[in-house]
Amino acid sequence: MSSPIPLPTLVRERFPSGLTALVAERRGVPLAAVRVVLRGGASLDPRGRAGLAHLVALVARRGTRRRTGPRIDEAVESIGAELGSGVDEDASYFGLSAPAEALDRCLDVLAEIVAEPAFPPAELRRLQRREAASLAHDLDEPALVADRAMLSAAYGRHPYAHPPEGRVRDLRAIRRPDVTGFHARHYRPDQVIAIVVGAVRAEVALARLRRRFGRWRAAPSKVAALPPTEPVRRAVVVVDKPDVTQSQVRIASPGFPRKSPDYFPGVVASAVLGGGFTSRLMEAIRVNRGLSYGVRSRFAPSGAGGLFLVSSFTKTETTAELVQVALDEIARFREEGPTAEELERMQAYLCGLYPLSLETHEQLAEKLTDLELYGIPEEEIVEFRDRIRAVTREECREVAQRYFPGDRGVVVAVGPARTIARSLEKFGKVTVVPARRVL
Amino acid sequence: MVAPGMAARAAHRVLDLDLVRAHTLRNGMRVRLMPERSAPTVSFYTFFQVGSRNEQLGTTGISHLFEHMMFNGAEKYGPKEFDRVLEARGGHSNAYTSNDVTAYYEDFTGEALETVVDLESDRMRALRLTQETLDQEREVVKEERRLRTENSVFGLMEEQLEALVFQAHPYRWPVIGWMEDIERITREDCERFFRTYYAPSNAAVYAVGDLDPDATFDLVERHYASIPPGPVPAPVPQGEPPQRGERRAAIRYPSQAPAVLCGWRGPAARSPDSAALDVLQVCLAVGEASRLRRRLVQQDELAVSVSISWGWRIDPGVFLAFAELAPGARTDLAEAALYQEIAKVAARAVAVTEVKRAQALLRSSVLHELATHHGVAHALGQAEALLGDWREAGRSLEHYASVTPRDVRRVAAEYLDPSRRCVVVLEPEGAR
Repeated sequence: MSSPIPLPTLVRERFPSGLTALVAERRGVPLAAVRVVLRGGASLDPRGRAGLAHLVALVARRGTRRRTGPRIDEAVESIGAELGSGVDEDASYFGLSAPAEALDRCLDVLAEIVAEPAFPPAELRRLQRREAASLAHDLDEPALVADRAMLSAAYGRHPYAHPPEGRVRDLRAIRRPDVTGFHARHYRPDQVIAIVVGAVRAEVALARLRRRFGRWRAAPSKVAALPPTEPVRRAVVVVDKPDVTQSQVRIASPGFPRKSPDYFPGVVASAVLGGGFTSRLMEAIRVNRGLSYGVRSRFAPSGAGGLFLVSSFTKTETTAELVQVALDEIARFREEGPTAEELERMQAYLCGLYPLSLETHEQLAEKLTDLELYGIPEEEIVEFRDRIRAVTREECREVAQRYFPGDRGVVVAVGPARTIARSLEKFGKVTVVPARRVL
Repeated sequence: MVAPGMAARAAHRVLDLDLVRAHTLRNGMRVRLMPERSAPTVSFYTFFQVGSRNEQLGTTGISHLFEHMMFNGAEKYGPKEFDRVLEARGGHSNAYTSNDVTAYYEDFTGEALETVVDLESDRMRALRLTQETLDQEREVVKEERRLRTENSVFGLMEEQLEALVFQAHPYRWPVIGWMEDIERITREDCERFFRTYYAPSNAAVYAVGDLDPDATFDLVERHYASIPPGPVPAPVPQGEPPQRGERRAAIRYPSQAPAVLCGWRGPAARSPDSAALDVLQVCLAVGEASRLRRRLVQQDELAVSVSISWGWRIDPGVFLAFAELAPGARTDLAEAALYQEIAKVAARAVAVTEVKRAQALLRSSVLHELATHHGVAHALGQAEALLGDWREAGRSLEHYASVTPRDVRRVAAEYLDPSRRCVVVLEPEGAR
């Protein structure tokens, strides 16, 4: 029997403005992890403005009513912290990890950035140029190209279909009123979760959060819920990179939202198929055939939907072979589910790893904010291992039948089209896209 | 203001070295155990004192290929069993190979400790090397090389740069090895390699976490003490000739944007200058307030990103500066700006506030590293492998705290001299 997961007491307070404050005191490393999370990320980008939420999060830290960007950098970095900001499809994140005694100064800066950013026009233009240039560098990384292409192939016209970093054309088209308007519409206290985890007494941390964020008032935000994601038809997309010697491959199909009751069976089933070093895909693709250095399958659940995805890579000559082996393994799993031995081994593996995912203050802060964001009770943390152990073979098979790609699902390969496109035709109608189009 | 020494005392609370129980078995294997019960997990690291620096031309990459072979079956636990047994006990394992060391780890909950010791000692005692698994792993490693080097802009540039910085020292070839050498390595090469470099006399184990040090020591001794020691490994050639002028290389590649990678030969990790170079690294390129980010990314907008990597190695290693440029930006202008900023530090030092900022960031980074059992076990092993003493894992903050602006100026002037610079420029060509 494994030892219980030692969790600190979690203190939660809803401020009159609607902001949710969470605090967990932990001994050990004399640091505090601070995160401010806004409900709302890249899926709020208006049409033709992909990357707006991302740009808002980046420019917010480049100056506030009280401080310039360089002053913010100095204030944070002089105490040994690095401030991160960014977005995913569902949320915008600001966070840092700092010596516990410097918590006050960090909260000052974070509260200013989120509530009173100045969006200096010169900094906005500079970051538009830099982000567009960064996307050009991303185009030189086949794995990133594959991820971008997979999102649009798998999500179709859903707001999740564009990458959070945006598109070059849209980034260039953004104007300052887009940025200030996005902030005014979406950065409202009732949409914000602020958390402190670390070597600070809970009541002290809470008092500080109240002082820094308590005076921020704004009317509640009005955001329409996202539509559910839609099923996709079988499609094969080849992103043409004529000069690479290795193809990046993704196979994806619609999954479930984070709150779904399928979450736990999904975690176990995808791990048996393609998690860890002993998974079926690893064995078939790496161990038995030497086709790749790595292969992985997982569910990526979001707020309004999610994906099931397989990712791998192989020399261009064996692209179709790798896809075939992966699809065969998926088909077999849909049919049979896991064996009793596989199920038991993977449950032990997932349960054993879980405490390792909660070791640091940042890890716990991230876990707690994610649960809050998706409306899942924090008991999930202590119950996680029991719920994993409760998953049955039949549940795994059911979840595989429901979500693993059968005759649906998209196949994306990034590589030289002239070498790989024809060989992929057996999996469905092939569309060849020049790499630049993915930007 | 933080007084010097205060940071060091604070760090001491995080890593209490008095808790470490250190022994050497009769066969020469070093054992370091540290109980730490804040989380119910244990991290078990095995360090072998071998990396690409111990290789020879013709079989470059053998250290790394061999690392893969260690997961393919031994006497008691056959092929495919290592990870299966470990995962069934709730554990996770992986390994890495560097220029200097090969390190294996398992992270798991305390109950699995005996299984882990059994698994690790089995493969050290009696690894099974078959032609079939060698041929399979060779293909896997070739895919890894395609991933990390041949289809990676930075991978291509780094490989070129190391070949410029070093002419005689084995650091001149990549850790993963040259493709043709990966093809050529034989089973006999692997057998020989195993007998020499994977003997207990060339190894150390580190266990940190929810464990009892006395019981764990007995367990380790029971499993490892009867493994015979190996021969003393051959010394590594050190005859690197002095560099008497800039060395350059260009890479034409269908990339979207240019890039510049510069390198200078630094001191060995053991040098007291290593810590000052860490501080210089942070002053130059860690954080938005660092000099190179401000100049190249924010002010001149020549670069999209700029980073420095000063990697501590057993023999004198490389101080690297890498700038990804904006599409269409001129590499000569980016180089000029980079050299100008370095020259300013070498001529006029950095401000006290910049050194304090660097020390604060380094302190956080050390605290983060030591925040997990995995991080502590790795830090102990790394310190012993590179610096000759695991106790150094707890001393880095003292070293950082003693660095002054004058030290930063001195190391910038001494090591980043323009006549000892190596430069690789990425020239985009025919990108689509």
